[in-house]
Amino acid sequence: MIRDVAIVGAGWSGFRSITPELSHKELMYDAAVRAYEDAGVDPRRDIDTFVTVGEDYHEGISIFDEYVPDQLGAVQRPVQSIAGEGIQGLAAAVMQILTGRFDIAVVEGHSKASNILTLPYILAFAMDPVFNRPLGVHPYAIAGMEMLRYLAETATTPEECAAVVAKNRSNALFNPLAGHGASISIDDVLTAEPIAEPLSRLECAGHSDGSVVFVLAAGETARVLSDHPIWIRGVGWANDTFWLESRPWGDARYARAAGEMAFRTAGIKSPAKEIDFAEIDDTFAYKELQHLEALGFCSRGSAGEWTLEGGTALGGEFPVNPSGGALGEGHLLDATGLARVLEVVLQLRGQAGQRQIDAAEVGLAFGWRGVPTTAGAAVVLSN
Amino acid sequence: MSLLHRIEHPDDALNWHGDMPTEGRYTAGIAGERFFREIKEKGQFLATVCLDCDITYMPPRLYCEECFSHLDEWVEVGSWGHVHTFTVVHRDLDNEPLSEPRILAFVTLDDADGGLVHYLDEIEPEDVYLGMRVEAVFRAEDERQGSISDIEYFRPV
Ligand SMILES: [Zn+2]
Repeated sequence: MIRDVAIVGAGWSGFRSITPELSHKELMYDAAVRAYEDAGVDPRRDIDTFVTVGEDYHEGISIFDEYVPDQLGAVQRPVQSIAGEGIQGLAAAVMQILTGRFDIAVVEGHSKASNILTLPYILAFAMDPVFNRPLGVHPYAIAGMEMLRYLAETATTPEECAAVVAKNRSNALFNPLAGHGASISIDDVLTAEPIAEPLSRLECAGHSDGSVVFVLAAGETARVLSDHPIWIRGVGWANDTFWLESRPWGDARYARAAGEMAFRTAGIKSPAKEIDFAEIDDTFAYKELQHLEALGFCSRGSAGEWTLEGGTALGGEFPVNPSGGALGEGHLLDATGLARVLEVVLQLRGQAGQRQIDAAEVGLAFGWRGVPTTAGAAVVLSN
Repeated sequence: MSLLHRIEHPDDALNWHGDMPTEGRYTAGIAGERFFREIKEKGQFLATVCLDCDITYMPPRLYCEECFSHLDEWVEVGSWGHVHTFTVVHRDLDNEPLSEPRILAFVTLDDADGGLVHYLDEIEPEDVYLGMRVEAVFRAEDERQGSISDIEYFRPV
């Protein structure tokens, strides 16, 4: 990249299935205070620009971006809000720094999922209003259809998908932030009630409330602010066609395109060799496998077996979702990708406690915007 | 220090309920209008073709997503195809269990590169398989309104 950019502060709040005492603005404030403390910056004096991600229907407020400045210390300052995945917001903050116009930027994402009383309707409202929405179907049906086609095209098995759930929820037991840790077996997952066959209830991430805030700084400023900046080596993002009738049902092409852009900007030739671990969207269990393959960490159709054999476990050759992922932490709506980034930052800093990966030097985070979208974003981070 | 005040009992947390009534008009568009009029009036499908890319767009579009050219080549497409993928849906939009699970499928049509997402019926879930031959069942002519619901469902051929 034309200018070095690093994460110099990280803050979070919530990561619980309910937060009855806090408004979404207070969740954001709480995370922001921690991030600014961590970075040693005063938002009213030091931060040049603010980026938030969100979605009006998730907020239950139209034009939600008007509601973000005060709780971030951003009143009377440059603020940009993005209706997109958290890592798309991170990419926007990186680009603002790359312009040379800003030295310190903040990115924020949040979820107050526990306040949303009609989430399936919101997702259904995202489907094509003319061709798809009149069917009145639960939007997880799209995930069920994707999963079946992916299994058929790659000879991946339901057991291998279930192994993702067992791994991630077990990893979450070692993560004090994660609210969905559990010791469950592959059989538990396979015998859970079906939502949209072959997808079972335990293969769908539950939701959590929370907020994630990062402080980003340009090279020299980052070195002054932090003893241990986490460098953003490359970012990439892509959308596939949105048409259900034209998209490839068995393949996450958006992940391949986003990954290729991130690796290209990071100067990475062989992701599997040059990256030590990854936090990858697992909103649905099969998605972790599909994304792993599309990002090039293993060949198509091999992620399931790799997972079943323990290759992606905490002590495995390439740990995937050491945090527990969305299955273990709970899905944080638009902030889910930022939660993936948070774990990469904590691992690279050596602050991951019991789930610390030895010699973690380079990590990848990948976010997907969920059904019915085909939007993905990737970021490569290193010490 | 961030938040100093913590609530000690969930009932102490005040909240209000509100809804967002949203209603809109969705224009089918030039391609969509021709597609739905054909279904309504003749009970058959039309697609657009990009001759350069050799793609027959189903549902029809006014532009090619590969080469970005304007499409004005229209062809009739038969209402037969096969199941590309499917799912048995067990929840309704309130997230409540459906009393009768329903089969949703993506059906690729024989004469097109795309297809349609719709329900399958006249078959039990355990009998559906990938590649199964199916056909569209249209509503009676006087019931058709020019929408995707003019197709009742797909059924095995
Ligand atoms: Zn074309």
